[in-house]
Amino acid sequence: MSYDLVVIGTGPGGYVCAIRAAQLGLKTAVVEKRKTHGGTCLNIGCIPSKALLHASDLFEEAGHEFAHLGIQVGKPKLDLAAMMKHKDDTVGANVQGVAFLLKKNKVDAFVGTGSIPAAGKVLVTAEDGSTQTLDAKNIVIATGSDVASPPGVKVDFDEKVIVSSTGAIALEKVPAKMLVIGAGVIGLELGSVWRRLGAEVTVVEYLDRILPGMDSEVAKQFQRMLEKQGIKFLLSSKVTGVEKAKSGGTVTFEPVAGGEATTLSADVVLVATGRRPYTDGLGLEAAGVALDRGRIVIDDHFRSSVPGIYAIGDVVRGPMLAHKAEDEGVACAEIIAGKAGHVNYDVIPGVVYTMPEVAAVGKTEEELKAAGIAYTVGKFPFTANGRARAMRKMDGFAKVLACAQTDRVLGVHIIGAGAGDMIHEAAVLMEFGGSSEDLARTCHAHPTMSEAVKEAAMAVEKRAIHI
Amino acid sequence: MAERNCRLLVIGGGPGGYVAAIRAGRLGLDTILVEAETLGGTCLNIGCIPSKALIHAAEEFEAAKHRAGKNPLGITASAPSIDLAATVAWKDGIVDRLTGGVAGLLRKGKVTVIRGRATFRDGRTVEIATADGVEIVRPENTIIATGSVPVELPFLPFGGKVISSTQALSLAEVPRRLVVVGGGYIGLELGTAYAKLGSDVTVVEAAGKILPQYDAELTRPVAARLAQLGVKVMAETKAKGLSADGECLVVTRADGSEEVLAADRILVTVGRRPRIEGAGIEKLGLTTERGAIRIDERCRTSMHGIFAIGDVTSEPMLAHRAMAQGEMVADIVAGESRVWDKVAIPAVCFTDPELVSVGLAPEEAKAAGHETITGLFPFQANGRAMTTGRDDGFVRVTARASDHLVLGIQAVGPGISELSASFGLALEMGARLEDIAHTIHAHPTRGEALQEAALKALGHALHI
Repeated sequence: MSYDLVVIGTGPGGYVCAIRAAQLGLKTAVVEKRKTHGGTCLNIGCIPSKALLHASDLFEEAGHEFAHLGIQVGKPKLDLAAMMKHKDDTVGANVQGVAFLLKKNKVDAFVGTGSIPAAGKVLVTAEDGSTQTLDAKNIVIATGSDVASPPGVKVDFDEKVIVSSTGAIALEKVPAKMLVIGAGVIGLELGSVWRRLGAEVTVVEYLDRILPGMDSEVAKQFQRMLEKQGIKFLLSSKVTGVEKAKSGGTVTFEPVAGGEATTLSADVVLVATGRRPYTDGLGLEAAGVALDRGRIVIDDHFRSSVPGIYAIGDVVRGPMLAHKAEDEGVACAEIIAGKAGHVNYDVIPGVVYTMPEVAAVGKTEEELKAAGIAYTVGKFPFTANGRARAMRKMDGFAKVLACAQTDRVLGVHIIGAGAGDMIHEAAVLMEFGGSSEDLARTCHAHPTMSEAVKEAAMAVEKRAIHI
Repeated sequence: MAERNCRLLVIGGGPGGYVAAIRAGRLGLDTILVEAETLGGTCLNIGCIPSKALIHAAEEFEAAKHRAGKNPLGITASAPSIDLAATVAWKDGIVDRLTGGVAGLLRKGKVTVIRGRATFRDGRTVEIATADGVEIVRPENTIIATGSVPVELPFLPFGGKVISSTQALSLAEVPRRLVVVGGGYIGLELGTAYAKLGSDVTVVEAAGKILPQYDAELTRPVAARLAQLGVKVMAETKAKGLSADGECLVVTRADGSEEVLAADRILVTVGRRPRIEGAGIEKLGLTTERGAIRIDERCRTSMHGIFAIGDVTSEPMLAHRAMAQGEMVADIVAGESRVWDKVAIPAVCFTDPELVSVGLAPEEAKAAGHETITGLFPFQANGRAMTTGRDDGFVRVTARASDHLVLGIQAVGPGISELSASFGLALEMGARLEDIAHTIHAHPTRGEALQEAALKALGHALHI
């Protein structure tokens, strides 16, 4: 079989790349080792975790919110198996959707593990060991990432007691106590799910702050909100051991600054210390594809060191985000088809789907300081927003960072219910190189929470009205 | 009789008026604001804010009902009951808090607030009847921001069973049978809320369908959800009046036949009209147009030194339009060069699902003489929508065929009101379809549907 393009991996980067290539007239195939398409995101990542976040949020509201609204209801009970089924059904619908889209766009799908014996060839090894070789004028590696253990610690995941995110979205019962290693997005989202469903959750983090990489003021305020919800944080703590015990598991950690080690036990230990690029079994070394600290080295056109082999998504540089991979997939397909594909890495929104949500696009205050860029800050709290009050979602604020000289918006940070949807106007604005004044002078519907984003933009020039 | 002069007098403390006054105060203008009732106007006291609070409570209640018994999310609770008095008290608390907040902001802006009823004596003299007597104000500039009032049907006057949106926000108990006259956004927002709280709701609409100003494609998901909630919609039906015993509403169907609808409450929401009478505005001889004060692109009326903003200047009667106008007029009075050049004023219906329209709908764009292309992306193909168990609705974008300039964006779907901000911004920035299509939208969010709709219009949607 001979193709213009073979994409290895059908996560969001891979399947989108294949669909775009097919739209552009390339004869395209995908190779996927999972039984279903969609990769980490759809099968064991974004989508199932959001399904659980949604359901657990409703559970919590039923238990704590209703009385304020004049709604009387008995204590809600949880049927975890049914909630998991909601998650599985959501995943099922999503992955079937991808299969349908691939078929609709006439992309051939091969089930098996892909490897690259030589440039221009992709070997597909099925589960039963049978193989098949595809000729490929172009190859895109979109094999994604896998769970990483904390540096220097060996972790035996059994996905029941010692779990990664994969196990944490499929627990059979709510643990009484849960330890989360890593205060990044995954740890805080899944920690929130189980806290809402009744677990006592403690998060152990190496750094002296949560949400590394995000704006530190946002992180600090967010930590306070999560603590108020009942999550405990042990920061500046270096994990030295994760063990399975007779019942449950233990985590041993010591202060980063040095000092005595502590061991805590819990029913479930979630290791969420990040992800590593997944290139196992691709045969990259033999093919001569260069790696840098595990990531495939690419140029601005997604080309690896070997002609005809491209790479996108978690397996290359940049943030490990589904939407970044998707955009790379589109751009890469366009480049292979002889068009001008491009990704603007300065405007990639990031969202944490907790309650409240956290969303950001562009630079943080720390990044601007480090780069020596003079900037002005406009901030507006949701406590002063009518819609937020009408929904009892007053936690959080919007913050706009603009260049002090030109007023161009350099970063927007939002913490609040629905922040993940509100961030998009900032993304569109920044794609236009828009100023805080552009945002401030755009009529925003009343009463919406997005008015706070506008007011924050107005606050950049100290002309906010409602504060 | 006390007399005083000022640079700016604002008549009316609704969103338009208080924003104008705060802005003027901060710009150093000597400003007086007159309000006869509570600060915050219709919006904060008896409009947007309290209705959204009630809608939120009703939505939660309905969700709770849905959870009493077997349901896909795995949350089981006993059947909930509603203590509407407690809901209303909670809502009143929010209103107090926000109106108090407005008072604080005015104080901070050094605006003098006079509680009383203003009447123009002439274009330069305004008389204010306060509890302590009459005051005379001689302003250099005046902003009329008196807002609007619900339209009353002569054959169905407010009183007794017949209520306006104001009373509907403060009922002591959930009416068993509620008839809503007028299937516009106010009637549907409140009708939906009461349906969720347990009322048996019938909507009577004279036009051929609900939300007549929006196209059928856009309103279809709302109609479908109303049916699911058990709301009966009677289109092409006109209210005629109360039955002889005053217990029921008599309506006339399209075929001329009459029908009698039993009702515990009859909510009349057939629109709002500018509030011109009562402040001596008629005496000024300002140019009006269909009952509204006519203004130019700087909100100037036909009389020098007198501005008008908000609902009193006609449609669209939206708080955010009034606020933007108020802010602009304050700048103008302070000597700044400003002009009304908004491309887009988003309109949001907080129905279930919510509905947003910014700019032109496909038919409107065609009628305006544009050759257009349109892209529609359904939430059925959106991952985030699926995770919430509600995938009804879509995002639709219309652009000029020649250069892909975006002319309008509409959406319908649960919780999509917040998408209105990015729709409005895209239009204000003069976005082309490519601009939206090439902006990375976070995954998984409902906002991705806008990007996909733009891709669809360009002929290469990825997820459909």
